Amino acid sequence: MKRSLIPLLSALLVFLPAFAAEKSDDEVNARKVALDLAGAFSNDGFKLRDGHWVGSIARGKGAVIQVNLFAGNEYWFSLGATNKAKKVQVTIFDEAGKPITYEPYQEGASAAAGFAPDASGPYLIKVDELEGEPSAFCLLYSYK
Amino acid sequence: MVGLSAFAVGAEETEEAIAANPLAKADIDGAARTDALSIPTPGELLAALNKLGKLDWSSKFRAPIATSFPSRAQMALNLGGLIADGYIAVEAEDTQQVKNLGKDILALGKNLGVSKEILDRGKSLTEFADNKQWDVLKEELEATQNEVKEAMERNKDPDLVNLVTLGGWIRGTEVLSGWVGEHYTEAGAKLLRQPGIVNFLSSRVEALPEKTRNENCVKKTQAKLQEIQTAVSFPRETPPSQDSIKQLHQLSADLMKDLARKDPK
Repeated sequence: MKRSLIPLLSALLVFLPAFAAEKSDDEVNARKVALDLAGAFSNDGFKLRDGHWVGSIARGKGAVIQVNLFAGNEYWFSLGATNKAKKVQVTIFDEAGKPITYEPYQEGASAAAGFAPDASGPYLIKVDELEGEPSAFCLLYSYK
Repeated sequence: MVGLSAFAVGAEETEEAIAANPLAKADIDGAARTDALSIPTPGELLAALNKLGKLDWSSKFRAPIATSFPSRAQMALNLGGLIADGYIAVEAEDTQQVKNLGKDILALGKNLGVSKEILDRGKSLTEFADNKQWDVLKEELEATQNEVKEAMERNKDPDLVNLVTLGGWIRGTEVLSGWVGEHYTEAGAKLLRQPGIVNFLSSRVEALPEKTRNENCVKKTQAKLQEIQTAVSFPRETPPSQDSIKQLHQLSADLMKDLARKDPK
């Protein structure tokens, strides 16, 4: 087993049972999708932050969360949804709501956005559903 | 950043993207803020700090503190500080210090009713320290901290979660500002720009039950947070001066010392 997979598998083994006891099946499924996606980044040296955000999205009804990031680090925000969502998206804004350029990834019910902030401080991450039915989502992030 | 070739064929990928429109004010004002995602982990801070140069982490150790305090709020604040100390010990790659802190964290956790969660992790922390598996230890510490917070939620002590986070953040700020104050660079100074974190923590303290909020240690912390907030709320492109950072260090160091007293002034 590659060393880089251990953190991801550990996180799955340790936290999935507790998560499953508290969250809906849809949220559990969305989190699996997000964790699968984030696993690809751990192969590139990104550490998965032990924490997540779950909720519901629908077309035209996205959700926004504030995160606080450090200049010098690189980040990937990974979004997972259920298969009710056909296309989802992650976008990044500064604290004033101004769009930030990012590296995108999108495939069906998963999407990611990567960037390296040039200033420390608050940023806003928006998750959107572009196609499909209302769905649960899970957002998490990795850094290095 | 990183190549995306590992992803499945068929994925839509482009070099760069940017949202077409700015966020609406309602989206900004209504943005979620959670302990689990909005507050950076010590690991994130350390990752950024380690890029600035090699730090002498062992110089950031502090003398052992008490593991029993008159109030649960004060215990929670100090537990957060001790967990932050754990990260410093791991960065210093000091096996004995990790073990010592593990014992103190366990003792304080026991007084807060969350010792089972710490005990469950404690053995592996010791083993990883003995085997010098520092990267794994960082992950274990993060997991331990989260399990302690989850246990507090289960024990219907959610207010303590915020205080653990707050204690850890103050200790982290003390260490970061201490190092940047001694080895000043603009890049290092910019790491101290953390207005969103102080806003979040301050709002959580304000939302504590009145009884907790009126405890001496909490009142003292909230008052100092106002001063700290000013110090970490500088513009994106204007880093604070070395003197300002030294003042911030003094503020956070004095607060940590005061919180570690049996009877905070």
